[in-house]
Amino acid sequence: MTSVLLPLCERNPEPMALFSVSQTAFLLAFLSLRTYQSEGLSEPLPWAPESLKVSVNTTCQCLHLQWTVHNLAHHQEFRMVFQIEISRIKTSNVIWVENYTTTVKWNQVLHWSWESKLPLECAKHFIRMRSAVDAAKTPGPRVWSSWSSWEEADVQNSLGQDPLFIFPKDKLVEEGSNVTICYVSKSHQNNISCYLEGVRMQGEQLDPNVSVFNLNHVAFIRETGTNIYCKPGQGDGIKGTVLFVSKVLQEPKDFSCETQDFMTLNCTWDPGSDTGLLKQLSQSYTLFESFSGKKTLCKPKSWCLWQVAPESQDMYNFTLTAENYLRKRSVHLLFNLTHRVHPMAPFNILFKNVSATSATMTWKVHSIGKYYTLLCQVELYGEGKVTQHNVSVKVDGAHLFSGLEPDTEYLAQVRCANGDYFWKWSEWTHQNFTTAEAAPSEAPDVWRNVKTVQGRCVVTLFWKPLSKPQAHGKILFYNIVIEYLDRTSVSEVLSIPAPASGTELPLNQCSSQIRITASNSVGTSPASVLVVSREPGNEEVEEERVKGTEDGFPLSWNPQPRHVTGYLVEWCEQPRDPPCDLQWKNLGPNVTSTVVSSDAFRPGVRYNFRIYGISTERVPYLLARKTGYSQELAPSDNPQVVMTNLTSHSFTLSWKNYSTESQTSFIQGYHVYLKSKAGRCHSGSEKAVLSDDVVCCKYKIDNPEQKTFVVENLQPESFYEFLVTPYTSVGEGPHDAFAKVTTPDEYSPTLIRILLPTVFCILLIMITCYLKSQWMKEKCYPDIPDPYKSSVLSLIKSKENPHLTIMNIKDCVPDSIEVLNKQEGTRKSLTETESTKPTYLYLLPTEKRYSSPGPCICFENFTYNQAASDSASCGHVPVPPKAPPSQLGLLTSPENLLKALEKNYMNSLGEIPAGETSLNYVSQLASPMSGDMSNLPTNPPEPALCSEYKMQMAIPLGLASPPSSGSSSLSSITLLDEGEHYH
Amino acid sequence: GVVPLLLVLHWKHGAGTPLPITPVNATCATRHPCHSNLMNQIRNQLAQLNGSANALFILYYTAQGEPFPNNLDKLCGPNVTDFPPFHANGTEKTRLVELYRIIAYLGASLGNITRDQKVLNPNALSLHSKLNATADILRGLLSNVLCRLCNKYHVAHVDVAYGPDTSGKDVFQKKKLGCQLLGKYKQVIAVVAQA
Repeated sequence: MTSVLLPLCERNPEPMALFSVSQTAFLLAFLSLRTYQSEGLSEPLPWAPESLKVSVNTTCQCLHLQWTVHNLAHHQEFRMVFQIEISRIKTSNVIWVENYTTTVKWNQVLHWSWESKLPLECAKHFIRMRSAVDAAKTPGPRVWSSWSSWEEADVQNSLGQDPLFIFPKDKLVEEGSNVTICYVSKSHQNNISCYLEGVRMQGEQLDPNVSVFNLNHVAFIRETGTNIYCKPGQGDGIKGTVLFVSKVLQEPKDFSCETQDFMTLNCTWDPGSDTGLLKQLSQSYTLFESFSGKKTLCKPKSWCLWQVAPESQDMYNFTLTAENYLRKRSVHLLFNLTHRVHPMAPFNILFKNVSATSATMTWKVHSIGKYYTLLCQVELYGEGKVTQHNVSVKVDGAHLFSGLEPDTEYLAQVRCANGDYFWKWSEWTHQNFTTAEAAPSEAPDVWRNVKTVQGRCVVTLFWKPLSKPQAHGKILFYNIVIEYLDRTSVSEVLSIPAPASGTELPLNQCSSQIRITASNSVGTSPASVLVVSREPGNEEVEEERVKGTEDGFPLSWNPQPRHVTGYLVEWCEQPRDPPCDLQWKNLGPNVTSTVVSSDAFRPGVRYNFRIYGISTERVPYLLARKTGYSQELAPSDNPQVVMTNLTSHSFTLSWKNYSTESQTSFIQGYHVYLKSKAGRCHSGSEKAVLSDDVVCCKYKIDNPEQKTFVVENLQPESFYEFLVTPYTSVGEGPHDAFAKVTTPDEYSPTLIRILLPTVFCILLIMITCYLKSQWMKEKCYPDIPDPYKSSVLSLIKSKENPHLTIMNIKDCVPDSIEVLNKQEGTRKSLTETESTKPTYLYLLPTEKRYSSPGPCICFENFTYNQAASDSASCGHVPVPPKAPPSQLGLLTSPENLLKALEKNYMNSLGEIPAGETSLNYVSQLASPMSGDMSNLPTNPPEPALCSEYKMQMAIPLGLASPPSSGSSSLSSITLLDEGEHYH
Repeated sequence: GVVPLLLVLHWKHGAGTPLPITPVNATCATRHPCHSNLMNQIRNQLAQLNGSANALFILYYTAQGEPFPNNLDKLCGPNVTDFPPFHANGTEKTRLVELYRIIAYLGASLGNITRDQKVLNPNALSLHSKLNATADILRGLLSNVLCRLCNKYHVAHVDVAYGPDTSGKDVFQKKKLGCQLLGKYKQVIAVVAQA
C-alpha cells in the first residue's frame, strides 16, 4: 500500500498549457536555432514574448499571464524557456523569478499563473518576462531575449470608498499553513489594531496605508471559521474577514477489502478527521480498480461496496483516493479474492442428547462454495472454565461436549473461517444449555446442639446447604433418621423440606445416632452421621483467650491421645443477645490448628470458640474453649456506679451490674479517679492528669471482678468528684462526667441528737399554748383588765391616796353634742315645730337599744387616733336608709366622711331646711341645756338620728378596732336617739 | 431566497424605491374577513416581537463569535440607512402604512439572515429557531396590518423597500449586516410597540 501526496498549492504554478512535441520537429527546430545563433549573436532574439497581458483573480490570489511568441514559422515548434519576474510595490522590488519551460508552436497563446502569498489587493504587482530557447541539451550559455515591458497588476483602485479593507476575504487554508493578512486604510490612520480571536496581531508596515500580518501555523478553531478584524483608533469602522482553517486531509487508514459470499467486496477504511467547512465540503472518496478499470464514488466516508465481477477475477488492485478542495491522498491495495473471505456467522445452533454430563451441539454455516472448507471454532463456558475445540465443516457442523457437570448451565459458541486460507473469523453465534440433574455427590455438612429440657434430650440439627457442584440439582428435602443406640426405641424417620437449614428434635433417649441425607429429584446423597451422647462432654475445660488478627482467629489445640476421626470448631457469628448464627468448621484428624475467618466478625465483639474432637464412634467431646476479639476496642461506656456509706471521711462505690463479658475488649481492671480541692493523694492512689489538665487521684483496681471500692481518708465537709472507668489493653473508658459528692460535717450527728428533742419539746409547748390560748389570754392578758386586780391600784393606794377608789361608770356624766339648726324662711321640715329650739343630741351610755331604725351620725376625733378612725369609720357610720350604696365608698376618708355625714344627715332630714347646721361639742363638764337626762331618750329630735362619738382619749391601736359587742365597747359613747345602733 | 422573489414581484416599479400609497378610491378586497379585534391582535403581535427582540439580538451576536459580543456599538449599531421611517405621532393610517413597510423590510432582511446563518452557523439551532419564530410572527403581523389598511382605509397596496441582498457579501460582512439589522429591529420594534 502506498500513498500519493498531491498538494494543490504545488499544482497552481504549473504551466497552464502543455503540448506534445514530436522528436523530429524538435530536432529540426533545434538545428535551425543553432544555425541562427551562430550567424548573429548580437541581434535580438526573434521569438521574444509579446502581447503580455496580466489578469488578477482575487479569489485564489492568482496572477494570470498570457502572451504569444511571434515570428514562429507555421508548424514550427520550439522548446523555450520564459523567465518571469514579479515585483511588488515598485519594479525594482523583485519578489519572484521563475523560469517556465514549455514547447511553443506557431500562433499559440501561452498561459502561466502565479499564486501570491500576499493578497493582491494589498500591493501593486509588476510583471515582465523574457524568453530563450531551451538549450539544456547543448552546452554554452543561454541567450535571452530582451525583457518585455513591466505590466502592472493593481487591484486597490477598484476597492471602493470604504476607509478600511481587510484581505483576503474568506480564505480557505489548511491547518498548520502560513497565511498573510493585510489591511488597506484609505483614511490614512496609523493607529489601526488588528485581532485574531480577540488577540492582537503584530504586523509590519508595507506602505503608509498598508500593513501585513503573517500568521504562521494557523490552527483549526471551529468549522464556522476564525474571525479576524481590525479597528481604527477613532471611529466605529470595524472591518473583518473570516479565515477558514481546514483540518489536513489524512490518508485513509486500515484500508481493507473482504467478501462474505464472493458476490460483493466490502472495503472499509478509517477516514480520519472530517475536513468539511463552510467553504469546503467534506472530503470525498473514490475507489478505483486497475485490472478492471472500474471506478466508483463512495458516498459513505468509511466504507464502500464493490460488485465482484461475474467472471472469475481473482486478483484485485484497488486505489482509494480521498480528496477535498485543497488536497488529494490515495492508498493502494492488491489482493487475491479467495484470501479475503470473511464468512458469515454460523446459525441454527441446536443441542441434542443433553444428559447430566454430556451434550451434542449442531449448527449450520453459510456456504462459500463447494470447493471451500470452513474451519469452525467451538467454545464452551461453564463453571468458570472455558474449553475450545476446532471442527472442519462443509455445510453442517456438530460437536460432542463431554465431562460436563450435572445441572449446570453452559454457554456454547461457534465461529468459522475459511479453512483453506485463513483471513478472519466470523462473528460468534452462541447458545445456552443446561445439563440434566444427578444425585447429590456429597453428604450434607451437619452439626448439632444438644440441650436437656425437662430431663429430655433435645437436639437441634444444623446443616449447610450443598454447593452447586455437590447438589447436582435442586435439593428438595433432607431426610433424618434417628436410631437409638440402646435399641429400646424404634427408629424415627423425618423429612425436612428444603431450603431448611436445621431442625429441632426431641429425642426419646439421648444416646442415639442421627443420619442426615439430602435428596433431589434424581437421588439421595451419602449420609452424615452424628452420635448424640448423654454425656455432656468435658464442660470443665478452662476458657483461654485468643487474639484475633486480620486473617481471623488462630486456634490451636493439643493432639488427642485417643484416636479421633476429626476435629470441629464451633462458634457463633452473632454472639450478642439471642441471635447466635451457629457456625462450625470440620477439620481432619491430623489437624491441631486452624484459622477461623469470617466476614461477619466485627471489632469489639467477643467471640467464643469451642473445639470438639470427634471420636471414632462419631461422638463429639469438648477439647478447648477459646474466646477473643478480632480487634479489641477501648470501652465506650463506664460502669453505672452507686455510692453508699457516705461518712465524713469515706464513701463506698459499687458497680456490680457491670458485665465484663459483654464489653468491647477484655477488662483488666478499673481506675477510680477522685478529684478534690485539696489535691492531695493518699496512699493507694497516685496523681493523674486528665486530658483537660485537671489533676486528680487515681486508684487502680487490678481485679476486673472487684466491683466495689471504698474511698477513704476524705475530709469532712469537702466536695469530691469521682469516676470509675474500666481499663483494657487498648485503653480505658471515656472520661465523661464525674459524679459529685460532699462529705458531711463531723459533728452533725451529735448536733442532730441534741437538736431533735429540743425542737420536739418546743413544738409540744407551742401546740399546748395554742390549744389553751383562750384560757391563757384570760389569765394572762385579758382584753379588759380588772381594775380591782391591777397591781397599779394597790401601788397607788399604798403610796398616794389611800382613799382613792375606782370610778364607777354610773358616776360619769356623759358628754352631749348640741346640734344647732338655723331656721330659714318657710321651708318645711320634720322639726318645724321645734325649729327655734336648739337640738341636743345626747351622748349616752349604750344601755338601751331602740327598736325603731334610724340613721346615726358618727363623730370621730381624728386628732387622737387617726388609725382608729380609719379602721372604724365605716363600721360605725350608720347608713341612712335611702342612701345609695355607692355613697359608702366615699366615706373611707375623714373628709369625705364628714361631708357625707353632713350631707346624709341633711338628706336624711328630708324636709329639714338647708340652713346652717352646726354641731357643738358639749363637754362632759358643761351643764346640759336639759338637765334631766332621763328625758333625753324620750325626746329625741325627729327624724331619729344616731350619732356615735368616740371617747376623747388616746387608746392603743390594738384596742381601736370596733368592739365586737355593745356591752364591751366601753371606749365609745353612743349618741342615741330612738334609732338603732349600727355597728 | 426571499429577496429575489420580492424583487421580482416589485421589479416593475423598481426595487428599493418606495412608491406612493394606493389611492383611497382604489378597490380593495381581502380574501378573508378580518378579525374583529384586529388592532388588539396587532398590538399583541408587536408586544410579542418586542418581547423577543432582545433575546434574538443576543443570540445572534453571541453565535457570531468575537469581536461581535464585545463591540456591539461598532459592529451591531443600528446604522441601517435605508430602514423605513416610523412616526409615532402620525395618524393611525400613516402609522399602519409605515408599519407595513417596516414589517416588509424586516421580513426580507430576516430571510436573508436566516439563510446566511444556516450556512455560517449550522449548529446554532436556537438562533435558527428564534429567527424562524420571529419571521412567522412578522408574516402574521403583515397580514393583519394589510387587513386593517384595506378594511378601514381602503389601502390595498403599499410600496415597500428592502435592504441590501447579502448573498454576494463576504462572510464577515454578512455577520455584521445581520447584527446591524437585528440591532435596528430591536430599537424600532420597541418604538412601534409603544405607539
